[in-house]
Amino acid sequence: MTARTTSLRTRLAGTLGLFFVAGMIALYIGALSYARLAADKSYDRLLAGSALSIAETLSFADGQVQVDIPYASLDMLSAAPDDRVFYRVVGPDRKTITGYSDLPNGQAERRSDSEAIGQFYDARYRGEDVRFVSLGREIAQPGRTGWVYVQVGQTRRARDALARELVIGSLAPILLMTVLALFVVWFSVDRALRPLGRLSAELSSREPHELSPVMTPVPKEILPVAEAINVFMHRLSGNIEALRSFIADAAHQIRTPLAAIHAQAQVAEDGDPDEMRSGLVAVRRNAAKLTRLVNQMLSDATVQHRSDVRDFAEFDLLATVRQSVGEAVPSTEDSDVRFTSPLREAPIIGDRIMIGEVVKNLIQNALTHGRSEHGEVAIELVASDGGGYLLCVSDRGVGIPPAQFEQVFERFARGNSSAPGAGLGLPIVRQAVVSHGGTISLANRPDGGLVVEVMLPREARRS
Amino acid sequence: MSRLIAAILFTLLALGGCGQAQNGQGEAPGARELVIYSTTDIEAFQPVIDDFRALNPSIEIRYLLMEAAELDQRFRVEDGEGGSGADLLLSSAMDLQVRLVNDGYAAPHHSTNASILPGWARWRDEALGFTFEPVVMVFNRKVMAGREIPMSRPQLLDAVRADSAFWRERIGTYDVAKSSVGYLVASQDARQSADFGAMAEAFRDARVVTAGTTSEILARLDRGELALGYNVLGSYARAHAERSRDLVIVYPSDYTLAVARTAVIPKSAPNAPAAHQFLDYLLSVRGQRILTNRSRLSAVRPEFDGPYTRLGITETSVGPLRPIGLGPGLLVYLDQQKRERLLALWSGSGR
Repeated sequence: MTARTTSLRTRLAGTLGLFFVAGMIALYIGALSYARLAADKSYDRLLAGSALSIAETLSFADGQVQVDIPYASLDMLSAAPDDRVFYRVVGPDRKTITGYSDLPNGQAERRSDSEAIGQFYDARYRGEDVRFVSLGREIAQPGRTGWVYVQVGQTRRARDALARELVIGSLAPILLMTVLALFVVWFSVDRALRPLGRLSAELSSREPHELSPVMTPVPKEILPVAEAINVFMHRLSGNIEALRSFIADAAHQIRTPLAAIHAQAQVAEDGDPDEMRSGLVAVRRNAAKLTRLVNQMLSDATVQHRSDVRDFAEFDLLATVRQSVGEAVPSTEDSDVRFTSPLREAPIIGDRIMIGEVVKNLIQNALTHGRSEHGEVAIELVASDGGGYLLCVSDRGVGIPPAQFEQVFERFARGNSSAPGAGLGLPIVRQAVVSHGGTISLANRPDGGLVVEVMLPREARRS
Repeated sequence: MSRLIAAILFTLLALGGCGQAQNGQGEAPGARELVIYSTTDIEAFQPVIDDFRALNPSIEIRYLLMEAAELDQRFRVEDGEGGSGADLLLSSAMDLQVRLVNDGYAAPHHSTNASILPGWARWRDEALGFTFEPVVMVFNRKVMAGREIPMSRPQLLDAVRADSAFWRERIGTYDVAKSSVGYLVASQDARQSADFGAMAEAFRDARVVTAGTTSEILARLDRGELALGYNVLGSYARAHAERSRDLVIVYPSDYTLAVARTAVIPKSAPNAPAAHQFLDYLLSVRGQRILTNRSRLSAVRPEFDGPYTRLGITETSVGPLRPIGLGPGLLVYLDQQKRERLLALWSGSGR
C-alpha cells in the first residue's frame, strides 16, 4: 500500500539543516569581509598615525629633504606585536630619501587633498602580505615646491588575527543557535504529530462496522486528512447501505415468484386436471420470471466485474449485435424483433461480452415492457456523427413517463411497478455503456413506445 | 611533541643540508657542523659550547667571532650570494638583529623554552634574547681619589661640568660610530634622556676616550688610566670587579638600560636543525645556568628570581631597569638620516 516510507522529521531537519548551512556560509563570507574591514579600519588609524608622525618631521634644509623618524612612529606599530614594519620617504624627484627603497607603490600617486589623509593599499613585500599607507606632503621652499611621500607598511598578522577573532566571535553564537534549532525541530516534530497518533488510535479502536465521522479534535493542518477520512467513511457507509438494500430487494424479488410457484403447485396438486393444467402454466411462467431475474443478476455481476477489469480489445460490433439478437430472441417464440443496419462492419474497441449484455438486456427490456398486440421491436445500428456508433432499440409499448427517466436506471426501480421484470436491465445497460465512455438516452415515441439510444465511441475512453 | 617535530625537521633538513654541502664553498664543512657567527668573546662563550658538545657530541661547532656590524654585513652578503655561511647569528646589536628579522631573513624558532622568555626579549619568535645585561657605569675608586661617585647621569653631568680638568681623558666609552653595541645604547640614551646632547658635549669637552669593546675600556680602567667607563656591559664589568677591588659598578639611578644578546636563525641556514637545537639549549635552564655561572653572562629566563635578585642588587638601590625591547622601534635609529643626526649630535659636528 505505502510504497515508500519517508520521515517527516528527517525531511524537516534536512531542509532546515541545508538552509542553516547555506546561511552559515553566507554569514561566514559576509562576516569575513566585514571583519577584515573592521580590522583594517582600526589598524589603519595606527598606520596613518605612524606616517603622519613621520610626515610632521619633514623639512627642507640645504636643498635636501630632511626627515627625523620619531621613535614612536615605528614603536607605536608594535601594538601589533608580531608584525614587520617598513617605511620609506620619497622626495620630489621620486628618489628614496630614507627607508626601504624597494617598497611597492600604490595606485598612481595623485596630488590632491586626499593625500593628507593617505591612501591605503595591500601589497606583497618580502614574502608577506603587507598593508601600506602612502601620505603626501607638499614641501615649500623659496623658488621651488615639491611633493614628498611617506610610506609606512605593516604585515597583516595582527589584522588577520583580529579579523579571525571577530568572525569566530560573531559566528559562534549563530552556530550554537543553529544546533539548538535543529534539536528543537527534531523533538518538536513528535509533539506536532501527536494529534495524528490520536486520530489513528481512534480509527484502530473502532468496531468494524462503525463508520460514523471522526470526532477526535485535530489541529488545523490535519483537518483536511480528517475530513477526507470522514468523506470516505460517508461514501463507504452509503455503498454498504446500497449493497444491503440490493440484497434485500433481490431476496424480495426472488421470494415473490417462489411463493407463487409454491402456492400454484399446491393448487395443482389438490385440484382437478383443468386446474392442474392452468396451475402448471402459472408455475412455468413464474419459473421463467425467476430465471430471467437470476439471469439479470448474473448479467449485472458480469458487467460489474468486467467494467472493473476493463479487458478491452477490438471486435466487430455488427457481428456482436447480430449474435446477441439471435441469443436474446428464442427461435421457438415467433418474434417481431427486427435488426437492421446499413453498415457492413463496425469495428470497435471495447469489451465484447459487455456489449453483448447491453444488446440482450435492451431486447429483453423491450420484449418485457414494450410488447403490445401488434408491436414490434426494432433494432438499428448506424454510424454516429462523432465517429462512433448509434444503437437504437425501439418498441411499441406504453413507454415511460419522462419524469421517471432517471429512476429507471436505478436498480429494482421499474418504471411501472405493476409491470413484470426485475428492474435490473437498464441499470446494467447504463453501467456497461458508461464504462465504454458512451451515453444512453431515452425518448418516448409520439405514437407510443420507447426508444433507447445508445451511443458508443469507436474507442472506449476511460470515463 | 615539539621534540618529535624537531626530529622530523632534523631529518628533512639534514637531507637538504647534504645536498648543499656537496656544492658548498671550499671550506667543505662536515655534515653535522654548526657555524655560529657571534659577537661574544670566545672565552666567555667556551663553557656553553663545551657543555652543549658534551650533550651532543655529534655536532661540531665552528665559532666565528666578529663585530656586530661586520656580522650583519657578512651574513647579508653571503645570503645574497646564494647561501648563508652561518647557521646561527648571536649578536648584542639588537637593532641589527631586529632589522634582519624585519627584512625577512629569519626563520621562526618555536619551543617551550622560547615561549618562557619575557615579551621584550622576543620578537615574532624570530629574534630571541638569551642574556640580560644591564648597561652600567664603572668607576675606578683609586682614580676617583675620594671624590663622590655619581650615581646617576644628571649627577655625572654635573660632576663633569664642575671639574672638566679632572675628567679630561679619564672617561672611556664605546666608539658610537664604530661599535654597534655602543651605537645601540647611545641611541637608547638619546631616546630616554633629554640630557643626551648636553652629556655628549660634556664628554667631548672632557676629551672622552673611545674604544671598540667593553673589554678594552675595562682593561684601561684596571690600569688606572680611566676614572669612568660609561655605558659598559654589566656582565663583563662584574667579572672584572670581582678581580679588582678598585672597580665600582654603578647602575644609574635615573634609568638603567639592559641589552639582550639576540639570536637569529637565518632561513638559509645550511644546518638549521642543529641551530634550533643549539638555540633551544641556550634558552634551556641548563644552558642559562651555564651562561650565568660559567660565562658570567646573566640569564634572561625569568624563573624564580626577578632580574635584580639575579644580579645581586635591589630595586631600591638602583633606578628603574629599562630592558631594550626587541621590536620595530629599534629600526628607527638605523635610519640613515637618523643615524647621521645622532652621530652629529654625539661628535658635535651637527647644527
